[in-house]
Amino acid sequence: MGSMIELKELTKRYGDTTAVDRLSFEVRPGVVTGFLGPNGAGKSTTMRMMLGLHRPTAGVALIGGRRYDEIRHPLHEVGAVLDADAAHPGRSAFTHLACLARSNGIGKARVNAVLDQVGLAAVAHKRVGGFSLGMRQRLGIAGALLGDPAVVLLDEPVNGLDAAGIRWIRSTLRSLAAEGRTVLLSSHLMSEMAVTVDRVLIIGKGRLIEDTSVAEMRDRFERDVLVRTPRTAELTGVLTRLGATVTRTGDGDLVTVGVDAPAIGDAAAAASIPVHGLTPRSATLEDVYLEMTNEAAEYRAVAEGDRR
Amino acid sequence: MNVFRDAVAAEWMKVRTLRSTWAFLAGGVATTALGALILFSLVQSYDAATPADRANFETADPTVVTMPFVMFFIGAIGAMLITSEYTTRSIGPALLAVPQRRLLLGAKATVAGLVGLGCGALFALLAFADARLVLGDRPKPINPWPQWTGAIPTILCAALIVLVTCLVAMGLGAIVRSTAAALTTLGALVLVAPIFAHFLPTVWQLRLASILLPNLTPQLAGSDHPYLLSQGGAAAVTAAYVLIALTAGAVSFSRRDA
Repeated sequence: MGSMIELKELTKRYGDTTAVDRLSFEVRPGVVTGFLGPNGAGKSTTMRMMLGLHRPTAGVALIGGRRYDEIRHPLHEVGAVLDADAAHPGRSAFTHLACLARSNGIGKARVNAVLDQVGLAAVAHKRVGGFSLGMRQRLGIAGALLGDPAVVLLDEPVNGLDAAGIRWIRSTLRSLAAEGRTVLLSSHLMSEMAVTVDRVLIIGKGRLIEDTSVAEMRDRFERDVLVRTPRTAELTGVLTRLGATVTRTGDGDLVTVGVDAPAIGDAAAAASIPVHGLTPRSATLEDVYLEMTNEAAEYRAVAEGDRR
Repeated sequence: MNVFRDAVAAEWMKVRTLRSTWAFLAGGVATTALGALILFSLVQSYDAATPADRANFETADPTVVTMPFVMFFIGAIGAMLITSEYTTRSIGPALLAVPQRRLLLGAKATVAGLVGLGCGALFALLAFADARLVLGDRPKPINPWPQWTGAIPTILCAALIVLVTCLVAMGLGAIVRSTAAALTTLGALVLVAPIFAHFLPTVWQLRLASILLPNLTPQLAGSDHPYLLSQGGAAAVTAAYVLIALTAGAVSFSRRDA
């Protein structure tokens, strides 16, 4: 598979600080993978190492089996946006892209095509310095698409975008993945990821905490079941005998922990107790994410304390 | 070498589409025009002087007056090839497009060399044309080249030194990464250091002045000059400038994180 991203024990240290700590994972084609972590978790450093901009202290990042800086004319294989402000403000959108395209043997027709694709055709010959953040993000993505690459990497692509811009990026990424490309985007916002990505890689303090799908994550952190019944006392007795812990809400609903929704339904039916509502509740992904990344932070603090 | 050729073509496109390139070229033109005016007024006072005074006139070699400024302006174009990318963060996309650092720096050096040689030759010829127009067939010492053929080595060497300055400036840019720092250092090297040298004790004054970039032109050309180096020595110092600047630039550019 030529478009797989593989990280093997990737590490970056700055003096005593370890920004990225033996990070290993794979990113597969055909889905949108989210690279998630709080600010300062090492996401950008990791992506910059994948793309040869930063040198790893140890380990290796491979794209399609090669280090990025071993690829000749890499824009044909990998497209990346690391920084929305990474164009010379004095150049026009067209000349900015034309310079990049020329270095990879890509013609001017393709430059016009990508400008059209991202909706910047009308301002192609305007200076980038006058562009809004949304326009600059689009320009960045146009640059990433120049060589029609099989791998697309985006660092915090929705930062500072308005609703329309965010929706545009989401649908663009979805269609790129649907075309079979490998799509990796980083973000510090779980809420954003939940609607955009299929898989998540969560890092905290430079370490991989979780490599899972969004659906799996939701299931795993199912917390309790909310049950509504007119005969609360009887159902409480039945459920307690099943081994559940039952508490009552102010509205008279039962909050059940320890038994899943089908078991509750079956038990109520067996006891001929009517059930008017049965709602499995999971922690919001945001909660889960905060919990996970906090654990990473605490683990870190303890580990460093031990060393002293 | 497809990859290298494409990288050079891209760098050439970059230098053409940078507004500062044209501003610095305009600076070179303005300097040349100013040099012509100074030369013109010098010749007027020469014509009004007595024959005894005329013999004491300094040589009116326009390359001495204007070329250091031309070196600064054209060198600045070379430095901006790199520093403009660091200052605007477009070094990121540039390295994503050409991730082989040495190859990218090589492409930039090629363009810096072409710009340096082309502009160096152009401005040296302009200065020479000034001199011919204004000095006519006046004799030495004011006229450095009573025969125009005498100017050929100076023009060639002046163009070569602009090329070298452009490469040195690009190397500097790769090391300091900031336009302000690169241009200040370049200005210190080609404009301030020659003045500074005058304040040193005479022995040191000559030793330092002899290895300064602007003063290498007459030493390379083997024309009349007060400096210490032979033509071969001057060639060695010139080569050392290029070697040191490009090596240091390449090490800095390829070792450090972008």
